[in-house]
Amino acid sequence: MRAFVRALPWIGPALVLIALVVLFPIGVMIGNSTRDISQSGVDRGGVGLANYAEVFAFPYFWPIVGRTLVWVVVVVVLTVVISLALAQLLDKAFPGRRLVRMAVVVPWAASVVMTTLVVHYGLEPYFGIINAFLVDTGIISRPEGFGWTRNPGTAFAWAIVVAVFVSLPFTTYTILAGLQTVPGETLEAARIDGAGPLRAYFGVVLPQLRSALAVAVLINVINVFNSLPILRVMTGSIPGYDADTVMTMIFKYMQNQHRIDLASALSVVAFGLVVAIVGVYLRVVRPLEEA
Amino acid sequence: MRHTRRASGIIAITLATTTGLTACGFGGGTDEGDGGEGTTLDLLVPSYSDATQANWEGVIAGFEEANPEITVNLEVESWDNLESVIATKIQGGQAPDIYNGGPFAGFAADELLYPVEDVTSDATYADFQESFLSNAEVDGVAYGLPFIASARALFVNDALLAQAGAEVPTTWDGLLESAKKVSALGGGIAGYGMPLGSEEAQAEAAVWLWGGGGSFGDADAITIDTPENLAGAEFIQKMVTEGATQADAGSTDRSPLMDIFIQGQIGMQVGLPPTVGQIEENNPELEYSIHPIPTQDGSPFTLGVADHLMAFENDGDKQEAITAFFDYFYTSDVYVPWVQAEGFLPTTKSGAEVLGDEESLAPFLAVLPDAQFYPSTNPSWSTADSAFKALFGQLATGKTAADVLTEIQSQVDAG
Repeated sequence: MRAFVRALPWIGPALVLIALVVLFPIGVMIGNSTRDISQSGVDRGGVGLANYAEVFAFPYFWPIVGRTLVWVVVVVVLTVVISLALAQLLDKAFPGRRLVRMAVVVPWAASVVMTTLVVHYGLEPYFGIINAFLVDTGIISRPEGFGWTRNPGTAFAWAIVVAVFVSLPFTTYTILAGLQTVPGETLEAARIDGAGPLRAYFGVVLPQLRSALAVAVLINVINVFNSLPILRVMTGSIPGYDADTVMTMIFKYMQNQHRIDLASALSVVAFGLVVAIVGVYLRVVRPLEEA
Repeated sequence: MRHTRRASGIIAITLATTTGLTACGFGGGTDEGDGGEGTTLDLLVPSYSDATQANWEGVIAGFEEANPEITVNLEVESWDNLESVIATKIQGGQAPDIYNGGPFAGFAADELLYPVEDVTSDATYADFQESFLSNAEVDGVAYGLPFIASARALFVNDALLAQAGAEVPTTWDGLLESAKKVSALGGGIAGYGMPLGSEEAQAEAAVWLWGGGGSFGDADAITIDTPENLAGAEFIQKMVTEGATQADAGSTDRSPLMDIFIQGQIGMQVGLPPTVGQIEENNPELEYSIHPIPTQDGSPFTLGVADHLMAFENDGDKQEAITAFFDYFYTSDVYVPWVQAEGFLPTTKSGAEVLGDEESLAPFLAVLPDAQFYPSTNPSWSTADSAFKALFGQLATGKTAADVLTEIQSQVDAG
């Protein structure tokens, strides 16, 4: 206790900050989720859990949850697999490595909305450059191109492509940092024992990347789950709810229907979902335990 | 111990990243900043074009010169954000004094607004066109000041229609036939541009559903799921399935599609007065003409839209300043240039007289007497508006017309 009091001047500002920017909004969000709030924002009193009941009763709710899981799993798995390969490449010495390493950072440095919009415009019929390419090479026979972002399936697939693209730099660099902690002696020992490159990678390198991978996966799961801008841009003009995830649905409640109460309730549900996904990951994979 | 510390770190990260989204429902509290003895008016407006901000700044400069004791704070938002900004401000007790937007009945129902008569002089009040004023009433009291109006008409690419040997249609059947002829030209050319995407699906819905004799209801009840509306919805599907429209009609937004029309790739599309200026600026070579919107039986009709200014009561101490602002703004020397710069139609009698002989506005002023309006005085209209934006495009993605109308109706009834 005395140690805590002595530490207070140093950790105090951080605690205040956490209370103000994390705990207070959470409190307000949970509070809002149990109120009846009019479209123009007037609080009309408490309704208990009625907002939650309405969110769960929404006929598209479970498909949306399913799509959210697909979204998270596919994006994170693709990101991690591609990043493992990229990190391995960047760990080898070759001429121009510094330039390539810098190039990998670019999608991270660029605004996500900007990156997504570039792809989105590229996919537009009539004038999009990706469509123009596909038409000119004869892959698509319709002269104005295909409406990639106008159909739920293709729009969602392209959103996944963009999400993987923007998640690569962080993941690659986390794994690259992990690779550099792998001691050379262990690899050398493996080679002397007669292990081929594949065996050495899966038997020696990968287990030692355990904690780097744990960080990369956890942060990516949370980030990807909460990602709004990519899906918002790629699937925004599609009618109905066939390309929505939990996040875009929260946004639709808020922006289209002006239901701040429902949006808050779904946000609380979303928060529970993330905690559950992270919990399952920690439980099943046990990435934080020492090997 | 080490394990728990890591776990709590993970929880902290989760908390911090998951709360980001709903937390932005809360805007920062801006200070009123009443410097000295003068009154400050907060003005929240949407951006109609790139010139909107400058136009308002001109009005405000003139007003402040005439009324040195009043200061006006201007805040310009995009249409996309406007409604969430105003909802956030009201929730935070920071409502602007004057607001420019579409739906106002919800605010009136929450008793947040001054009646128009309380914030305008008699002369200003009497100058509004009656049809617009009655469109702005809730229970017989006008709460929205008619601000600008627009009407829709059919823009026709004369060159494409001549090439296809098609005639300018006045009925749905004629439209289907002409559009199919133009589509048959091939090369990515579409006969009729049908934007059912989220941007303004409610407008295209009104064009068709009302053109078939339907309506969206009135101040008391929103009625979407009716047999009259079904006729229009089914004809939309017929247009789409018979190939008379561009591809993916259900998720095509209006503005980008209008750009394609301006480039000369679409035979016919419903447009607005500002479209004339866009064509002038981007493709003056386009051979086009403007006609009344085709309807089921050929009777004239247009979708009129009026945006409104509204005055929030807040503490109730700025009534005089607000009145001074409105009286200044609606004098035709100030008002008409504003309306003209944005390419809309005026809602005042004096404004209509001044603009009466403007050639590019003539086709629209001609259809204005047959204008029908959204039931925007119904507090549920904004829910219906959102439901159309989110759901109406499903007509072109395989759902049956009856199902789509039922789904929209049930979202309205739940809202």
